[in-house]
Formats: sequence, C-alpha cells, structure tokens
Amino acid sequence: MIEIKEVSKHFSGQRKVINQLNLSIPDGKIVGFLGPNGAGKSTTIKMMTGVLPIDEGTISLDGFDIEKKPLEAKSIFGYVPDRPDLFLRLKGLEYLNFIADIYQVPKVVRQERIERITKQFSIYNSLDDYIQSYSHGMRQKIIVTGVLLHDPSIWILDEPLTGLDPKSAYILKEMMREHANKGKTVFFSSHGLEVVEQLCDEVAIINDGELLFYGTLQDMKETYESDDQSLEQVFLELTSNE
Amino acid sequence: MSKTWKLIRIMLKMQYSRVGKKNSQTILWIVALLFLLPMAFVYISIVRSALTAFYNVLEPLGQESLIVGVLLLSVHIVLLLVSFITILNAFYFAEDIDSFIPFPVQPYQLLLAKSAGPMIYLYGTAALFFLPVFFIYGAVSAATILYYIAGIITFVLLPIIPFTLAGIILMFIMRFVNIAKNKDRSKVIAGISSLVFIVLINVLIRLNTDVDAIMQNAAMFIQEQDGLLRWITAFYPPAYFGTMMMTASSLWSGFLSLIAGVVLHACALLIFIWVGQLLYIKGVLGMGTANKSTFSGAKLSRKTSVTPIWLSYIKKEMRIIFRTPTFLTQCVITSLFAPIFLIIILFMDSSSGNIGGFLDGLSGKHGLLILFLGSLLIVGSNATSISGISREGKSWHANLFLPLNPKQILLSKIATAWFINLIVIGLAVILFIFIIKIEWTLFLIWLPLVLLASWFSSALGTFLDFLQPKLNWTDEQEVFKSRMIGLIGIVVQLGIFGILVLLIWNLDFVNGIYMTAAILFVLVVIAIVVIHSLIHHKIKQGQHQTI
Repeated sequence: MIEIKEVSKHFSGQRKVINQLNLSIPDGKIVGFLGPNGAGKSTTIKMMTGVLPIDEGTISLDGFDIEKKPLEAKSIFGYVPDRPDLFLRLKGLEYLNFIADIYQVPKVVRQERIERITKQFSIYNSLDDYIQSYSHGMRQKIIVTGVLLHDPSIWILDEPLTGLDPKSAYILKEMMREHANKGKTVFFSSHGLEVVEQLCDEVAIINDGELLFYGTLQDMKETYESDDQSLEQVFLELTSNE
Repeated sequence: MSKTWKLIRIMLKMQYSRVGKKNSQTILWIVALLFLLPMAFVYISIVRSALTAFYNVLEPLGQESLIVGVLLLSVHIVLLLVSFITILNAFYFAEDIDSFIPFPVQPYQLLLAKSAGPMIYLYGTAALFFLPVFFIYGAVSAATILYYIAGIITFVLLPIIPFTLAGIILMFIMRFVNIAKNKDRSKVIAGISSLVFIVLINVLIRLNTDVDAIMQNAAMFIQEQDGLLRWITAFYPPAYFGTMMMTASSLWSGFLSLIAGVVLHACALLIFIWVGQLLYIKGVLGMGTANKSTFSGAKLSRKTSVTPIWLSYIKKEMRIIFRTPTFLTQCVITSLFAPIFLIIILFMDSSSGNIGGFLDGLSGKHGLLILFLGSLLIVGSNATSISGISREGKSWHANLFLPLNPKQILLSKIATAWFINLIVIGLAVILFIFIIKIEWTLFLIWLPLVLLASWFSSALGTFLDFLQPKLNWTDEQEVFKSRMIGLIGIVVQLGIFGILVLLIWNLDFVNGIYMTAAILFVLVVIAIVVIHSLIHHKIKQGQHQTI
C-alpha cells in the first residue's frame, strides 16, 4: 500500500511543483500515473523513492515512512527509473549481482530469478557484456530484472515500457498483472494512454503539481459523463482546462 | 564558412557553458588567482635574472638570437605534447562528436570547429611560456617596435604547426591503427603511453647527456653570426623563421623570414584541413564498443556469488575506475607519476643512497616528520577520493533509491580511495626498502602512520567532493577538468599538517622518534574523527539528496 499525504515540493526560487498531493493506493491494484510533461509525475515518484526530500507531508510504503524509515521502505519496493543508464561500465551479470547483494538475495534464489527473467526478456546471452554496449531497450530490461530480483511487494516504475520491443513489453505487462493478482501494488507513470486503459485498475491524473482525478476508468466516465469518450479525450480535456 | 563559424560557436558554448556551475566556484578561482599572483612575480623575476645573464654572455659573441630560438623551440615542444592530449580528447574521445555527424557539414568544418577548444588551450599555454620571456628579452635587448610586432605575429602563429602536426599524426593513427576500433582500449593506451613517454624522455636525457660532444659542436657554430641558432633549429624550420623574424638585423631579412613563416604555417593549415577532410570522420566512425557473446548456466553459477554489501559496493567502484579510461588515468596512472619518477631519478642517480644518508643524518624525529609530510603530499594528490561522488554522474540517484545507508556509501567510497592509495604506498615501500634503504625503525613507524594518513586524506577528499560534486557531466573528463577541488584538498591537508609538523619540529620537549610518532598518530586520528563527524553532519542535513 502506498500512502501519500499532503505532500508538497518546491525547488529553490520556484513555485510549488507538487501542491498538497493526497493519494492512497491499495494493495492488489495496478495504478497508472498520468500527466503532461512537467506535471510533477517524476518529482512525485522521486519523493516516493527517497531520491528527493519531501518539503511538506509524508509518504509511506507498506506503513514505512520513506523519510523516517528509509532503509525499511526502500527494501520493500523496486524502482525502475525513467532513464536506464545506470552503472554502464558493469557487465549485466555484475550489475544484477550488485543489486542482489544490496537486497541480500540468497545465491540459489538470485541464480534462478536471473536465469528465468533474463531468458524471458531475451537478454540472457548478453549477461557477460558491458551494459554500455546494450541498446536502450536492453538497458531497460536489465534494470527491470534487477528490480524483480528481490520480489518487492511494491513496484514503482517510471515510463517502464519506453524502448521495449513488443514481446518484452507484453511480458512486462503480464508480470505487472500477475504481481497485482498476488495482492501487491504496481504504480507506474506513462504517456501511453492505451497501455493505461488496457492494463490499469485505477488511474491518477496530475497536472501542475495537483491531483485532478484518481479512481477507476469507470469512475472517470461517470464523473465526466463521457460514455462515448476515450481516456485520451478525457485526459486532454482535463489537462487543457487547467 | 558561416557553417564552420556556427559550429565553432556552438561547440565553444557547450564547452564553456556556465550551466550547473555555482558562483562559489568563481570565488574559488579568484582566491586561487590571488594565491598565484606572488608565484607569478617570483616566476617572472627568475626568468628575468636568468635571461639577463644569458644575454650578457651571448650578445658579445653575436649569438643572442639563440635565446629566442631556444624559447621558440621549447614552446613548440611543449605545445606539441599538449596538442597530442587535447586533440585526442577533443577529436576522438569527446562524445559530442556523434551528435554532429548527421548534420550536413563537411568533415573539415567539423574538424575546424573541434579545433577551437584545443586552440584556446594552446594559446593559453603559449602565453604562459612565451610572453614573459618575449617581453623580458625585448626589454633587455632594448628592442625596437619591429621586434614587438614580429613577436605578436610569431605568437599568433605559434600553436599552428604543433597543433597541425599532432593532428595529422593522430588522424593517421586513429584511421588506420586497430586501437581506434575500441574506444576504451585506445584511451587507456593513450594514458599509459603518455606516462611511458615522459618517463622515457627522462631516462634518455639522463643517458645521453654527452657534455663533451655538445661543447665541440657549440664551439664550431659559435664562430659565425647566429650560428648557434641555425645549429639548434636545423631540424625545425618554424623556430628558425620565427627567431629570424624577431631578431633579424636588417628589415629585409626579417620581412623575408616573415613571409617564409606565414607561408609555412598556411601550408601546414591547408594540409591539416585536407587530411582532416579525408580521414577525420572515418577515424571517428571506426570507433565502437559493441560486443556479441553467448552465456551458459555454468557461467551464471560460477559468476554468481553472495558478497557483503560494503564489499560489493567497493568492487563496483573498483570495476568502474579500472574500466573507465579517464578514471583509470586520473585516479591510478597519474598518482603513480610521482613515485615512479622518484624511483627512476634515484635509481639512475648513483648517489641515491644519499637520501637514506640524509635521513640518517637527521634525528629520528625530523626524519619521520619529513617522511610524513612527503607521504601526505603523495597520497593527498590522488584524485580517487575527490572524484568519489562525481564519478557516479547521473547514476548517483541510484544510491538514493536503493536500500543503502548514505554513511555506508560514503565509507565505501573512502575505502575505495584508500585501496587505490595502497598502490602508491606499495611503490613507496619498494623505494624505501630497496633504493633509499631507510632505517627499519623509521620504516615500521612510517608504514602504519601513512596508512592512517591515507584514510584521512581519502575521507577529506570524499567529503570535499560530497559538498560540491559534479554529477551533471556528459564526458568523464569533466569530473577532473576546471575543478579546484584537488588543489583545495592538498592545500587543506598540507596547510593543517604543515603547521602541525612545523610546530612539532620546533618544540624541544618533543624528543625522539617514538614520542613524535605517538603525537602524529594522535593528530591523524583526531583529523579522521573530525572529518567523519563533518560527513555525518552533512548526511543528517540531507546533503546526499540535495546534490
């Protein structure tokens, strides 16, 4: 469960980029986080994951406050950042071992997961190559593999499908669905409205640092009386009105 | 030409942009310049007195042009060496070239635009070496206005030949030699070669100084006007024409030398552009890092191991340092310069035992203090610690979302710098035991002391980098270029311990090697505790999230 309470954030000399954000995401759901460029999606996710400090309010993950109990909170989520260019001088397997060491994944478990997931993503044969030589999609896959190694109860993904080939995107979406079906939480930002429409149980729409809508797609249609409208049309209307 | 000009402007803007730079860095530069001013005065007065002495000897023999000849020759050699490094970095290793290749521009236009940055650097270097001697020579020889005009033209032309020469050689090498196929390997080879090259030059100079032969030649050439100049510049016409332009006795010979010099430089520039048009882009395109391989279950099993977090982190750091050519060069290879040089100089010098003798001659107390300060200078100049945070670049935020204690991250970074320092300390051990042969008691006290001082030095460097890291780099070189942090680190370390050592040196009640050692140990431990408290304080303030 993710609990965001009264969260605000401003960068020095600027107006608030996140303003009094409240969001409560229950277990067992896939939640899509939508908003135009510069709406505050990445800033919110960075605060959720402890990358940025929170100016006001609190964020807790499965009951652990990210600021008061950072190590406990960070141990229960897995985060895929928007840019997969991490530790490029390491080989794929070295990176995965490093991540598994940090999350203290036992040898047998990590070996099984590395083999299974990298084979699913078709990067198994590239494990002994430097990440620097990987394509954007391959880098994205190795990061996702790293995130899944410790089987976190919460997945936080920033634009996770960008750069993935259709097969890998399909596998990742299946994984997200399986994860939610096990009663765990998936929270991801995306610009792909079709993906959100097809995959998410709930959507949260943000613009200018303020939450415009949070609920199921059905709720959205009822709220905006838009039975004949697609998510795209509602999204455009919502974000252009602000 | 307008395209070339636009490319030059955009490339210079990218290189010298102030985006992400803080005002405090400007202040640091100003403070550093203020410190350098007295040094500049000392430099100029040394040059002045040496030059006056040489002039007074050579002028009666009609050989005073030799001074300008030697100046031009040495500046050209310096510029040639600098050109190799700057051209390699700017033309081939800077990643930005990839984004310019798709534009509809000629290779020579890219080449000229790429040359702007290194040329500015070369003019700066030339100004540093050429201008003081040029003006002082003018004053000493009571030169006319023609000398100054010719000198300014010479200065403008100065970097062209070394730059074009180095550029053409490198373009040929990068186009046809296999190392260009692997960018990383060629960077490492370039780094190591520069070390080997400088060491070799040093060794060759030491082996080939046949004073008798030099004196014989000099005696022969001294018979004729400007004979010495022709002798030393015989293999390098640009220096000859430059000197003749500045020191010619008649207007005509000066003018002819000017024409010859300008033609020579124009030809060099044209050949450079022509070769660049033919080879430059092909050399750049030849680079790549892709690799294809297969993987097996046995390999996975063999290469998968559980490691404690701190060790895993240090291993990650080491891998990144040793696999990134710039980091390897700056953090490891450069730090070996000082000890390797010392070893070579002392090894080749038959009187090397003298240093051991000199240390023996001092009291145990003074010997230890000198060794301690010297060691601190060597471990303090290692760039591993002062780049600990900055090396991460945009990966730094991964440290924040992974369940890692910030204290653990910084400790691991300090430990990494400490381990790299062990290489330098290892060389010093060889030096002390086998070459200088210092006394065993002194050695056994020095070793743990330097290991402790190395921890302090690593912690201080990491702390300074933590305060103001450079994370937003596009090229690894930026982590080390135009940053004052290394200098600040050394100044702080030597400032603090220099004063303390001076105090201990003069305190009469501190007697004997053991008492001195005990005091130094206590001081270093206090310094370590202070730095660790400062790191802890900054972490509590959330510095790791705000950098």
